[in-house]
Amino acid sequence: MAKRLLMIDDDPDFVSGIKAILVSAGFEVEVAYNPKDGMLALQNKHYDLLLLDIMMGRGAEGIMIARKLRKDVKLRELPVLILTGMREQIAFLFPGEPVHPRFVEVDELVEKPVEPKLLLEKVNSLIQLAEAKKAGK
Amino acid sequence: METKSKILIIDDEEVVLDSCAQILKGSNYQLATATDGTRGLELVHEYQPDLIFVDLKMPGISGFDVLDNIHSMDPTIVAVVITGFATVSSAVDAMKKGAYDFLPKPFTPDEFRIITRRGIERRKLVLETIALRREKELLREQFASIVSHELKAPLGAVQQNMFALEFELSNSLNVEQKEKIERIKIRLDELLKMINSWLRVISVDANKLRENFKPVSIAEPITSALESTATLAARKNIEVVSEISENLPALLGDSLSLSEVFVNIIGNSIKYSPDGTRVTVKAEEQGKTIEISIQDSGIGISKEDLPHIFEGFYRGKSGQETASGHGIGLAVAHQIVEAHAGSISVNSETGKGTTFVVNLPISAA
Repeated sequence: MAKRLLMIDDDPDFVSGIKAILVSAGFEVEVAYNPKDGMLALQNKHYDLLLLDIMMGRGAEGIMIARKLRKDVKLRELPVLILTGMREQIAFLFPGEPVHPRFVEVDELVEKPVEPKLLLEKVNSLIQLAEAKKAGK
Repeated sequence: METKSKILIIDDEEVVLDSCAQILKGSNYQLATATDGTRGLELVHEYQPDLIFVDLKMPGISGFDVLDNIHSMDPTIVAVVITGFATVSSAVDAMKKGAYDFLPKPFTPDEFRIITRRGIERRKLVLETIALRREKELLREQFASIVSHELKAPLGAVQQNMFALEFELSNSLNVEQKEKIERIKIRLDELLKMINSWLRVISVDANKLRENFKPVSIAEPITSALESTATLAARKNIEVVSEISENLPALLGDSLSLSEVFVNIIGNSIKYSPDGTRVTVKAEEQGKTIEISIQDSGIGISKEDLPHIFEGFYRGKSGQETASGHGIGLAVAHQIVEAHAGSISVNSETGKGTTFVVNLPISAA
């Protein structure tokens, strides 16, 4: 069965550039264009991976989502691929930590834009890692 | 509501204090007085005056010492010295020491009022200037982060769609079409790099950089810079020769930023060199510094442009062509080298070539 991904990003043009690659590679992709819809989708449906933008709306709203996920016993296990245009600002959000800390159990960060090969590699490896972790429990 | 400006008068003659109080009565000032320097300085601290009158000749701490102390406490406080006719030359000395004006004794009420008004205006001006400068700094920082999101987001979307297009069409594009896509991708990438380096110029923060300083072997950033510029060099068939002395002492710095310095300079040398020539990168110990020189046989930089090549675009005077086509990279290099307490200089002759020399202090281990 095809893996189902959720993407939360407020830039529809960027989203279509990512979605096209993932769809051609056989993934099912759903999109939420704001954090609120994103959280709603996460609470109501099951996904194999979340693609998360950081800078949305009035600021680093992606971080808020990550914080909520971290507190949620079930969603904590969802692998997250963070897509961001500003690597520097991640450190700034977590003072004293030069590299972004783990938001959830399985996550990784890539800078926008993402080469198709890299995108697919990261998505596949994160899903595998999360599944292996779950099976190991 | 406008707060009353605060004036402090330090003079050992009670009669002077009394008459000053008399003159200012009913005006829009608050007044405090002290009869000696020690008490005066305490009041500077407690009362936080805008304007201070200080007698130069007093028993105890002299007016000069009071002046020195005031300025180390708060350099924005305006100080005026009170002096007898016999000490006009010392009034001049006091002004050299940072006093704003002097009031010769005896003075008329009008003289005192005028100097007071001027002093208070001066203080307002000083504070306004500081506030403006701070605002400018803040604006600069915010500008960098706004620009970075507003410019990079659309560019990111364009690039992402190019990637998707190429990915979807990968089996049906012919060689020429692939080349076109490649060209678009390269130019977009360059645009992104340019935005990033402009933002670097605006936002390089020497203090932040220094927080992450570690012992660095200079070979490390140079080697990484040579790797980064290898493609550019190969494209122009330029041989980049590196002569790094062995066992160079370590220096304290940020390897990534230093590598950025060398990428910018070496990249520049390659860019402005004719095809098939040579660029030489040398690093050697030179007294208490490590000297890195980058020499090319390129087109050179004209005399008029030389003084400006390290200026960032935001510092340039209006209408003055900054960096003259040498890009913003040198300005970034300059800022990073300065943050390392080093120096950067350039020698150039049009038509013959250019040598950049970077000196970085060896860390006192």
